[in-house]
Amino acid sequence: MYKFILSLRYMYKRRISYLAFLAVALCVFIVVIVMTVLRGLVTDFKQKNHNFIGDCVIGTESLVGFPYYEEFINILENQNFVEAVSPVIKNYGLLSPRYSDLNQGVELLGIDPVKHSRTTAFKESLFYHRDNVSNAFVPPYEPNLPGCVPGIDLVLERDERGNYRQFERPFELGLSISVFPLTPKGALAKAGLGLVNTKTFYYSDNSHSGLARVDNSTVYLPFNQAQLLCGMQSPIERASWIHVKFTPDTKLEDSCVKVRSLWLEYKQTLSNKPGAELLAGVDVRSWREHRRSYIAAMEKEQVMMTLMFILVGLTTVFIVFVVFYMIISHKSKDIGVLRSIGVSKTNVIHLFSFFAFVMGLSASLVGAFFGWLFLSKINEIESWLFEHFDFQLWDRTIYAIEDIPNNVEIRTLTVIIMSAIIACLVGALLPSWKGSKLNPIDALQVSRL
Amino acid sequence: MLKLFLTLRYLRKRKIVLLSVVAVALSVALLIVVSSLFAGFIEVFERSAVEAIGDVVVFPPARFTNYPHFIHRLEQTNAVDSATPVLSARGLVHLDNGNVRPVDIWGIDPVSRSRVARFKESLISQESSLFESSTYETAVNALVGIAVLSEPDEKTDEYDMDAVRKMIGSTIILTTGTVSRQQSTDDQTSPKITRKTLQLVIQNVVFTGVYDLDKRFVYVPIEQLQKLLYPEQESPVTDQLQIKLSENADEATALAQIRGVWEDFAQTRLGWDQSLIHQTTIITAKELQKNFVVELYKQMGLLMLIFGVVSLGVVVLIFCIFYMIVDTRQKDIAIIKSCGTSNVSVLSVFVGLGCFVGVLGSVVGVVFAYIITRNINTIEKWISSLLGLKLWKSSVYMFSKIPNQIDWSLALQIILFAVLAAALGALLPAIVAAKTKPVNILRYE
Repeated sequence: MYKFILSLRYMYKRRISYLAFLAVALCVFIVVIVMTVLRGLVTDFKQKNHNFIGDCVIGTESLVGFPYYEEFINILENQNFVEAVSPVIKNYGLLSPRYSDLNQGVELLGIDPVKHSRTTAFKESLFYHRDNVSNAFVPPYEPNLPGCVPGIDLVLERDERGNYRQFERPFELGLSISVFPLTPKGALAKAGLGLVNTKTFYYSDNSHSGLARVDNSTVYLPFNQAQLLCGMQSPIERASWIHVKFTPDTKLEDSCVKVRSLWLEYKQTLSNKPGAELLAGVDVRSWREHRRSYIAAMEKEQVMMTLMFILVGLTTVFIVFVVFYMIISHKSKDIGVLRSIGVSKTNVIHLFSFFAFVMGLSASLVGAFFGWLFLSKINEIESWLFEHFDFQLWDRTIYAIEDIPNNVEIRTLTVIIMSAIIACLVGALLPSWKGSKLNPIDALQVSRL
Repeated sequence: MLKLFLTLRYLRKRKIVLLSVVAVALSVALLIVVSSLFAGFIEVFERSAVEAIGDVVVFPPARFTNYPHFIHRLEQTNAVDSATPVLSARGLVHLDNGNVRPVDIWGIDPVSRSRVARFKESLISQESSLFESSTYETAVNALVGIAVLSEPDEKTDEYDMDAVRKMIGSTIILTTGTVSRQQSTDDQTSPKITRKTLQLVIQNVVFTGVYDLDKRFVYVPIEQLQKLLYPEQESPVTDQLQIKLSENADEATALAQIRGVWEDFAQTRLGWDQSLIHQTTIITAKELQKNFVVELYKQMGLLMLIFGVVSLGVVVLIFCIFYMIVDTRQKDIAIIKSCGTSNVSVLSVFVGLGCFVGVLGSVVGVVFAYIITRNINTIEKWISSLLGLKLWKSSVYMFSKIPNQIDWSLALQIILFAVLAAALGALLPAIVAAKTKPVNILRYE
């Protein structure tokens, strides 16, 4: 009990401890804000990637694709851990709007909109056909024309607040798409015949995945037409990827292992079939593995930022150390009295460690509270700053970031508070140890009083 | 003399002062490293644009002919050193089995381009001359960006140069398209997209170190691209002009001169009307990057602000340490005051000590920051080999090397800030010391 009373008393009476309190609170305040924003950006980016891919993919980076995908889809659909499966054609194409001489290299994704929406968040990325995804490739101005869904940045411009001006219905726009059709061996399928396949598709909807690289360079086409355009319909039908969504109660990694073993089993049964050599490059990956190169960069930046804060946070440890050193130097008589009535050295260390703990906990709670308060208003503050001073944290015409993430995560908060407490304990350790070694005879001798 | 003596004595005898030196050094080092990396990145970003496209670019609203005459007239002005045409298009290249990439195609004149941009130096084989005549009758020689042909290794971020060199001499297929006007039924012209394909022989590989450029571009002779895209055009055609300014040319004057020459040329030689002429963008390479550079500076400022605020802890730390020194050295202070030292002199002892801590901490911090920044690429390599984790990738951060130059002007500002912060931290304890009454401290009882 005396430890508790003395801790509170020292904190209240020794004004110098306010400084350590302030330093810890300020540090926690800044770290909570920066880490919440940074973590929010990373989590949001990961979630968008997950939404774009689904849970797992089976396929190959080669644009030739791989055959016998339909049978494997049937196998997957019969598994109780699989919720939905969607085959995808991937290729690169040259896109030209019909009434301009602009050409643009784009990534083409051939999909079945219904299956793909069950597997990924394709449906949610659409603007006009969210409630009727089966018509995603039906241009409302001419339903008989073949439709396409370009990434939103290919057809609309983002304003300074990061919003797009969507029209009531898709405007009439023909997009001529050219592709190199490839044989199963990867050679040009139309050698000597103009070499490319060209077909005009009509703008039927736009897709906003929130991933800049996807939204400014991807065009979705109907699966069959993409397959035809890319020469993947003959002599053997091929697909580039199979996207899979698992049932909610399954673990991602376990399910990926199951899919991998199913694939290996299936691949063995095809070894003597024509085109079986294309199956060699087919890989099974979780969405995290598939998008690792993109996600890792952001995660690394988060780690680097954490390391930098640890470095800067060392100053706070020094402050705590100095403050405790001062307090203990001034309280040598208290320690002498405590020791003389039988309090052990360990208990003296406990007393000051408890003081450090109380200080770390209270300061970090205050810092975290103000951090949370600031974060809860951060988007309003940014809007106000933009309105009055034309200042934005991120220029939304350049970065595909919507609101500033401000959702304080309990785990992050706990880690920050724990770190602050540990920093206080570390800072107080040496002075406490020095205090515990104080000899009561020396501390209480009359000449020193 | 007494002040210096006491300052040095406290620094030597009171070991705790060293803690504040360490804290200042840490903060200064961190701020200098972060600001130098950011400033270096921005500088390399701006420089790479100038090296890729020259100092000034002329973007007319439409393609134009007779550009050699325009270049000749530009080069007669004292503001322009040289100029080069670019005919651009977009397309797809089929590299080998199952390997297709979207690319930007630039039709260039290699000789004038080498004068305007840093082009020749970025070719990986320096032996062959630019665009030698092709050994294949129907094929055209091309220079291809290294990242079009190969991706850097996941772990080392380096290209397999042997494999890339082996691709020199191989044939690739390029497809691109043009829009031609066709007479439609209702007496109006409607555009028709015509796809064109071209066989290219990789004559050399371009490695600028800027991933975006290396990933996107295929260069072919401008005449060949014109022949492919606009066979009906007899006189040379281009859609942009890139200009290198003379050594001491003033940018604003040069832009005005270029605009004057352009307006005259467009009016007299091309017969363009005023509205078309005024739609022409004449802009410096740096101005082209301005939006992004401003954004980078903003982020750097924010990061510095965040670390700066956290580093304010140093002020608190110095305050605490100095307060402790003043508290425990009251007798010293009382004695020197009783010998006739003024309040200001006592104040200056402690503020001077604070400044000294700031200077010493800054010097240590600068040395530390210099070592880290200059060796940042080696450090990054160590971390990569230790953790198997590549921190810096050209595909993410554009450049293959981390900028490793100290920004001395920013470093100087940080040092000044650190010294001021240290003096500020020492100020209050110094005032307390100055106000010490020797009578109270030195009385016998």
